[in-house]
Amino acid sequence: MASTVDRPSGRAGLNLGYLPYLLPGAIGFFVVVLIPFLMNIAVSFTRWKGIGVPKFIGLENYLKLFQDKTFWAAFEHSVACVIAMALIPTALGLFLGAVLFDYIGPRFGPRASSGLRAAFYLPQILPVAVAGVLWGWILSPIGVLNTILDGLGLHALSQNWLGDPATALLAVMFVMVWLQLGYALVVFMAGLARVDPALYEAAELDGAPWLSRFRHITIPMLKPEIFVVGLTTTIAALKVFAPVYVLTSGGPDNATTVPSYFAYYHFFTTNRVGYGAAITTVQTLITIVLGLVFLRVQRKQTEGAN
Amino acid sequence: MSADATIAAQPTKRARARSSNEPDGRHGEGFGRYWVLALLVVAALLTLFPFFLAAINAIKTPTDYGANGPVALPRSFDLSALFAFWTGVEFGRKLWNSVLISGCVAFFGVALSLLNAYALGIGKVKGRNLILIVLMLGIMVPQESLVYPIYYLAKSVGLYDTRLSVIIVFTVLQSAFGTYMLSAVLTQFPREIIDAAEIDGASRLQVLWHVVIPVLRPTLTVLGTFFFIWTWNEFLLPLVLLISNDNQNVSVAMGTLHGQHVSDPTTTAAAALLGIVPTVIFFLVFQRTLMRGVTVGAVK
Amino acid sequence: MIAKKRLTAALALSLALAAGSHGVARADDSDKTFKIWWYETPDSAMGIAWNKAIEEFKAKHPDVTIAFEQKSWDQIEKAGSLILNSGEAPDLLEYNKGNAIAGLAASQGLLTDLTDVAAERGWDKTLTSSELLLSRYDDRGIFGTGPIWGIPDYGEFVAVYYNKNMFKDLGLEVPKTLAEFEKVMDAFVAKGITPIATAANDYPAQHLLTELALSKATPEWVQSYQGLKAPLDPAPYLYGAQTLQDWVKKGYVSKDATGLKATDMETLFETGKAPMVVSGTWFGGGFKSKIKDFEWGQFLFPGNTISSGSTGNIWVVPKSAKHKDWAYEFIDITLSKDNQALLGNSGGVPVAADPASLTDPVGLMMTENFKVLADRNGLGFYPDWPAPGFYEVMLQKTQALIGGTITPEEFVEQISGPYNEAQAEAN
Repeated sequence: MASTVDRPSGRAGLNLGYLPYLLPGAIGFFVVVLIPFLMNIAVSFTRWKGIGVPKFIGLENYLKLFQDKTFWAAFEHSVACVIAMALIPTALGLFLGAVLFDYIGPRFGPRASSGLRAAFYLPQILPVAVAGVLWGWILSPIGVLNTILDGLGLHALSQNWLGDPATALLAVMFVMVWLQLGYALVVFMAGLARVDPALYEAAELDGAPWLSRFRHITIPMLKPEIFVVGLTTTIAALKVFAPVYVLTSGGPDNATTVPSYFAYYHFFTTNRVGYGAAITTVQTLITIVLGLVFLRVQRKQTEGAN
Repeated sequence: MSADATIAAQPTKRARARSSNEPDGRHGEGFGRYWVLALLVVAALLTLFPFFLAAINAIKTPTDYGANGPVALPRSFDLSALFAFWTGVEFGRKLWNSVLISGCVAFFGVALSLLNAYALGIGKVKGRNLILIVLMLGIMVPQESLVYPIYYLAKSVGLYDTRLSVIIVFTVLQSAFGTYMLSAVLTQFPREIIDAAEIDGASRLQVLWHVVIPVLRPTLTVLGTFFFIWTWNEFLLPLVLLISNDNQNVSVAMGTLHGQHVSDPTTTAAAALLGIVPTVIFFLVFQRTLMRGVTVGAVK
Repeated sequence: MIAKKRLTAALALSLALAAGSHGVARADDSDKTFKIWWYETPDSAMGIAWNKAIEEFKAKHPDVTIAFEQKSWDQIEKAGSLILNSGEAPDLLEYNKGNAIAGLAASQGLLTDLTDVAAERGWDKTLTSSELLLSRYDDRGIFGTGPIWGIPDYGEFVAVYYNKNMFKDLGLEVPKTLAEFEKVMDAFVAKGITPIATAANDYPAQHLLTELALSKATPEWVQSYQGLKAPLDPAPYLYGAQTLQDWVKKGYVSKDATGLKATDMETLFETGKAPMVVSGTWFGGGFKSKIKDFEWGQFLFPGNTISSGSTGNIWVVPKSAKHKDWAYEFIDITLSKDNQALLGNSGGVPVAADPASLTDPVGLMMTENFKVLADRNGLGFYPDWPAPGFYEVMLQKTQALIGGTITPEEFVEQISGPYNEAQAEAN
């Protein structure tokens, strides 16, 4: 479209002209992210307890890391976290957002849809430490869920949710969905606010069923948001820490441990800061690679459409 | 533009739609719509169930909790532990610190994100994808790995144990997310509007202020709200960076409810409810702004 | 536009506030401010006694401003060495004992050497040499020998809490041996009651396991184990693990414990659902204030000479403290007979109290039990101490043991790995 048309100002001038806008961001980035990131990489080649002088030990931390079974188990659990924190919330949030926006909203008024949105968003507001206590009450073998199941005569269904390796990861995943859904929902509904409602009204008057409007209007319109939510929730899943920490501390017997928890354990408990730094360096590199793939797909998708 | 494309694509879809036998439009669906609403309300209530648990335990006496457990409905009403907590940790002061830190991060984080995204999304600066990826390191790096370096950096510039250090750190970290989100949205920004403004002689700053910001307002509010809430609940970096009680925020103060071996669940529940009040208010205010955003969109 | 300008101005102002008030806080650090931090909760025995100590100190020094701050255990555990390493440390603070935290700070030169002061003020007489074991750290940061870096003023140990009413209902007596203990538990199992509530998604289960292990341990084994003197001699742990799994099979301990936290265990006992819990004296105060419906008591783990237990966390004086004399004076107050009596009468375990001054039944019972243990050299410390991070290893493996996903042999093998690694690293 018009964006590619050459104009008198010339391409180079146009592009350079926006650079000052990047300056504040660049300074902040160097100080808060890049320098600490490089410092962390440097620390990963040392043995260090967090204070005192680090001792250079070359690749020892990395060699040890690749033989550490817990580390690999942690990455396997990351896949589960991506499902629970990225895939399900994105898909469910998209669907729910569309239902609230163009089904509930027009029929029951904006109050109904925004009230429901607020309800689904509220878990995001609760400090995770507190959410951990509350879900502990629910999922404990003597907790609310089992009490309800027993009360309904479904004794066979009641489980030692967080203590049994067979169910612990599933239980943690469930809480992650509960936490993340509201985020996806709110981003999608904000995105829908950009959409001209006339578009939906026209489609609806023309008799397009809801599912068809969802597929052909909602999803294409929300493409930028879908990518944003997809990528940010995937990144969040790869570095998830708090829900695991408060619910299971990685247990039982490392059945739910994740890379960030594993790194945290070495940073702050065993005082092996160098080892923790090596874990997070590998973790960050994996995240960057995944992010690059994601951004490439996104660029093809969105710029191809333009 | 994608909007035009979608409208242009309508006829084929309409044809396809007619061939399906789903109920069409809002007039022929009878009571079906109440089922949808009822289902959503039930789902919402289930989502809120943990909050209900927090509420019923917040008002119990520790004895009641001890005798009947967390699941039972309260048989007592007691807020004295809560008041003791409030005065004990000077909760008012912590609230103010949290509001100050989160408020500043929300505002400056959005501003920084917008400037970055304007250059990347509208300005299409050379190598913008590379810049974006590098900037996104801010959300990709696990926070645990930043704790020690940021501690030493803050100490070396005399900002250790200041709220300013936390504000700076989170403004930058949150803006990585904001930059990505806004530049994704801005690549879809109707180019002709900007071209028109530029032909009218508007400077880039004027375009940003008078054209881009008004259209993006709903997204910017959402972003600001996210930043506010995320920063409010941040724990690890404030725990390490905010040492004196005068500078601590709510999430760090909540930690004092846990001893080394024992914790007090009723006060935890009560303090949690207190601690989320400001964020809930913030969210509700933003809900209203968002509704306004919808109407602006409709007028346009 | 005007609204926006106002908003911007407000933000600029608040940012200035955020940066500036630090300067104000600094100005408070005058010559007359004494900064004390601790993390015991205000309603704990220590919190009560130490708050009283502050009042006493104030009465003696009316011109001194006491800047007390309630910290969280979490913060001191994570950021303790970083705080000590900055200019923001207080004059006196409660600090976690053990190699990983106090030992690290001592070996890094962040604490004041209290050896001479302890001799001068008689603390080394008030406290026995075994009570000072966790005050001493060598230059590798391992406890037991070296200068005195910190002063404890309370004790703690693991024992059995029991519901007297439930014992009476079944006509049961307090058991004296492990065999009697098992008979008592059989009686409860016969009634469909799980006798011991524990929590394996948290620390209590490893304390139970350790009691069983310590029943086969000698004082030499404890010293070698805690001091990382040799690779792990696994015999006591193998016995403990076998017995614990056996207990799960017999129904003495529920497999559901793998999903429970310490507060769940506490609730099970407080609600009268569990006749016994095996845990530390830190629950004494809570049980005392929360249990109203039945009588309860405490007995030492039947048959054991040694039980988990030690002196509590220690007072340390940071190297950078500005008012060390006041810090010493404050420690003096907390070790005084009056303050120690108050600690005991608030449900804690004083280390230097006159037993005659204790009137509170809970404090008296626990203090007597502590004395029994200390006198027979039976304080076995805690299983997780030898190496930083060993707590998580013990927690995870005990959880798996109770859940039945590993055998006692695997348990021993899997805890030996990290232990022997830490042992090799330290020597």
